[in-house]
Amino acid sequence: MEVTITSLMGAAERGDGSAAEALFSALYDELHRLAKRELARHAGPVSLGATTLLHQAYIDMAAREGSSFPDRGRFMGYAARVMRGLIIDHARNRYAQKRGGRFEITRLRTDVAENVVDDRELSRIGAALDELAKLDPVLAEIVDLKFFCGFSFAEIAGIQGVTERTIQRKWEKARIYLHRSIRAELPQ
Amino acid sequence: MSTLSPDRWRALSPYLDQALTLGAEERAAWLASLQQKDPSLASDLEALLQEHQSLARKNFLEHPPETAPIQLALEGQAIGAYTLLSPIGQGGMGAVWLARRSDGRYERQVAVKFPSLALLGGGGGERFKREGRFLGRLAHPHIADLIDAGVSADGRPYLVLEHVDGDQIDRYCDRNELDLEARLRLFLDVLAAVAHAHANLIVHRDIKPSNVLVTTHGQVKLLDFGIAKLLESESSEGAGTQLTREGGGAMTPEYAAPEQITGGQVTTATDEYSLGVLLYLLLTGEHPAGAGPHSAAELVKAIVETEPPRPSDAVGPSRLSREAASTNAAKRSTTSEKLHRALRGDLDTIVAKALKKLPRERYASVTALADDVRRYLKHEPIDARPDTLAYRTAKFVRRNRTAVALASLAVLGPIAFGLAMAFQARTIARERDRAERVSEFLVNLFQVSDPGNSLGNTVTAREVLDRGADRLEKDLAAEPEVQASLLLTMGRVYLRVGLFQKAEGLIERSGDTRERLLGKEHPLTLQSRFFQASAINLQGRRQEAEKRFRDVLASQRRVLGEEHPDTLNTLNALGVTLSFEGRSAGAVPMLRDVLEKRRRILGNDQEDTIWSLSNLGFALSGQGKFTEAEKVNREAAQAFERLHGKDHPTVLGALQNLVRAIEGQGRFAEAESLQREVLQAQGRILGEDHLDTIAAESVLARLVGENHRIDEAEGLFRATLEHQRRVLGPQNASTLATEYNMASTFYWDQGKFDKAESMLRETYELAVQAKDPIHARLSAYNIACLAVRRGDRKEGLDWLRKSIENGFRDVPAMLQDSDLASLRGDPEFDRLAAAAGQDTSSPLPASR
Repeated sequence: MEVTITSLMGAAERGDGSAAEALFSALYDELHRLAKRELARHAGPVSLGATTLLHQAYIDMAAREGSSFPDRGRFMGYAARVMRGLIIDHARNRYAQKRGGRFEITRLRTDVAENVVDDRELSRIGAALDELAKLDPVLAEIVDLKFFCGFSFAEIAGIQGVTERTIQRKWEKARIYLHRSIRAELPQ
Repeated sequence: MSTLSPDRWRALSPYLDQALTLGAEERAAWLASLQQKDPSLASDLEALLQEHQSLARKNFLEHPPETAPIQLALEGQAIGAYTLLSPIGQGGMGAVWLARRSDGRYERQVAVKFPSLALLGGGGGERFKREGRFLGRLAHPHIADLIDAGVSADGRPYLVLEHVDGDQIDRYCDRNELDLEARLRLFLDVLAAVAHAHANLIVHRDIKPSNVLVTTHGQVKLLDFGIAKLLESESSEGAGTQLTREGGGAMTPEYAAPEQITGGQVTTATDEYSLGVLLYLLLTGEHPAGAGPHSAAELVKAIVETEPPRPSDAVGPSRLSREAASTNAAKRSTTSEKLHRALRGDLDTIVAKALKKLPRERYASVTALADDVRRYLKHEPIDARPDTLAYRTAKFVRRNRTAVALASLAVLGPIAFGLAMAFQARTIARERDRAERVSEFLVNLFQVSDPGNSLGNTVTAREVLDRGADRLEKDLAAEPEVQASLLLTMGRVYLRVGLFQKAEGLIERSGDTRERLLGKEHPLTLQSRFFQASAINLQGRRQEAEKRFRDVLASQRRVLGEEHPDTLNTLNALGVTLSFEGRSAGAVPMLRDVLEKRRRILGNDQEDTIWSLSNLGFALSGQGKFTEAEKVNREAAQAFERLHGKDHPTVLGALQNLVRAIEGQGRFAEAESLQREVLQAQGRILGEDHLDTIAAESVLARLVGENHRIDEAEGLFRATLEHQRRVLGPQNASTLATEYNMASTFYWDQGKFDKAESMLRETYELAVQAKDPIHARLSAYNIACLAVRRGDRKEGLDWLRKSIENGFRDVPAMLQDSDLASLRGDPEFDRLAAAAGQDTSSPLPASR
């Protein structure tokens, strides 16, 4: 049987660890491919939002895999997790590899530099999030969607099927958890 | 509590949820009570909440992770045989990088351009490479070399160009304070480069200062030659059509030619126009559209419609502040007075010819333009002729003529006379009752056969209507809803017989009543407002009509939806209004939209669908796209014929539009013969005395004139005029239109100015008596031109004043009309222009 994202998601949800890994890497490849395609379309500095990329990935894959494809909410949960991995990997490798066929996910810089998370901090947030995911996967998913992928509270509420207020509250909780986990290393 | 164990987190989690839903005061109380029950839990919670406040202050995680922009990934990357060094620029056309050869064989740096793929047409990489090689052969000392073109390993097309280190030409000239002669000599180099490309069948299509550089050695280099062509789709290619392409694609609005804006054919004349803009800029320091900033719409209007001021005027004190004028002059190593005088005359004429709106009126080639510049520099007489008086005026008049003559034809489409439409199929008793009241009223209206009535049997439709309108006011005052419906119906009848002003009043009251009873956005209120705008439109108050149509449209879109028949009707009317305003480029997309929707919703053969086809043809003619207009109008005529049979008024109306499209292509003989058929059929079906028949007679007269059978044309004009006077009366708008057209185009074009003037004076008197401001102001304006032509400035100003008093507001036309040139600078003239520009109905300031 052909291994599809649909079947992998099903298996991962039934607790199949190797399926979860395969799912992660399949999504990783897919996002990579999409990002490259976007890059080729623009042929220059491009501001490629993670949100856009994920939406596009969903549309692409859902079209390809047909009616049994998981709903958008479930898909986004996984994809956002993958996106986090992509961004953190990229941050880790940023200075190691400047050239070649890599792609980058970029964002127009609209804020002051001091508020921007630096690469090392990003790695620590990643590690803390992995811990949080074991404790409370819903909170971790919200952070993936909000912080790494740039979804709004309203969008996340739509994805998870709860109210915006609930999402906001959970987001604050997740922030507390993460801040507490890494604050020893944060500038005060 | 420095670390948080999973168990502790799980224990705290529900409390945290609760705390986060509470306000500050509530939270304090809640924590205090928790303190009593479980001190350790409460203190942990308090610590976490404090942590929350501190992270909030720091905006922790508020900003998404910043990742490096893509340049980093490109820098140092190999593209073909080149290594990218640093980005030079980034624009709508794509990104440009400075690069050097990877193998070091070639010392000089190059520019690598990645055209934005959004602009890249079909055909793929192979075509890109092939075209690139072709362009590579375009070697000229004043054209930056195209060194290579290809597609990178990861699929991005790129161009490798000679890297020119220079300043853009206008800045170069200003910085070095070059005088006019030096500027013209540099401009000749630009012309030589463009001529070379044209000889190689390549049109630039995007000539602008930033594409024309001058190196430190004073050498001109044109950039991006043929790039625009590379961005074309494969389908438009063809051996014979290298130089003629449809507009669109890459261009820069500020330097675009009218045909690029309107989607006409792009030819070498298009480059010539852009060169004209560049020359204008180099000579005057100003853009032809005047000092910016302009909105896109203003710019489009300036390019497509407005004649730019002459260069000599552009540097003058009337347009620039004294300071700006002398700064401009200083950059040209002269004074503003001398600059004005140097530009006046030949340079004005040369620039004007390059900037003609119609490509065929420009120089025949860039070489011809260069020849005239050279003649000027050698003090020889130039080839281009200044615009003649007749030419300019005729053009102005022609624009108005179309609007006057065709106004009633296309706007309203079929006007349903019967009331059945509004009331049919309604079964509600109240509606039925209302319908009965309405029919009863109408029946009574037409019972005017009282033998004792002094009017006898000669009562006219007009009198019947007026009587009906009066009774409507009195008899139905107690039934406002019925009254509103009938007011609208009566108004539409008045529209049909051409009494637009009266119609407007009735329809407006219908709308007001409905608004009061049903609300502002009720579909019926909107229906009345639609017809109100139509009535306003027919009176020539186009801008007001346009605004109202737009308002109605916005409401209908909201209330009824995009695709409701009423919404589409209004969009259709708005499109037609724009065509009348001479803004066909804006109208065409709207009408296409209506057509597409109606085709989808109603089908191809439904009456409304065909009407929009016909209106689209009308707008296309207005846009000068006569070929497509012909096709569309032909299709509309055939469709109407299938629907109604051959001899039907609607078919004939559609054929009338077709005649216009054929006439526009200069096929006057064919147009005349079709017009004769139309006229004959109209006489048969509608009767000799029908409005449309008479209108067709006047079109025929014009066409016979175009076919140079002057005596015959004059006879036809006279006959039409007599016919109209007899049937419609001398003060009817259509009668006045014919008289006006006959004077201001037919006699005028033949140089029979005396005849033209005496006829216009007659028109003016009749128009004033008829309270027809359109013809009053048009004829007064033209009399002013003729008076000035005779040398009577005083009388010219008087007539101009009369024109403005009657609502003439086209200030740009007035300021640029060469017939009125000798009035420029006269304080009274300026005062009149200012008054006209205020666009109010307030009275003019007292005459001197």
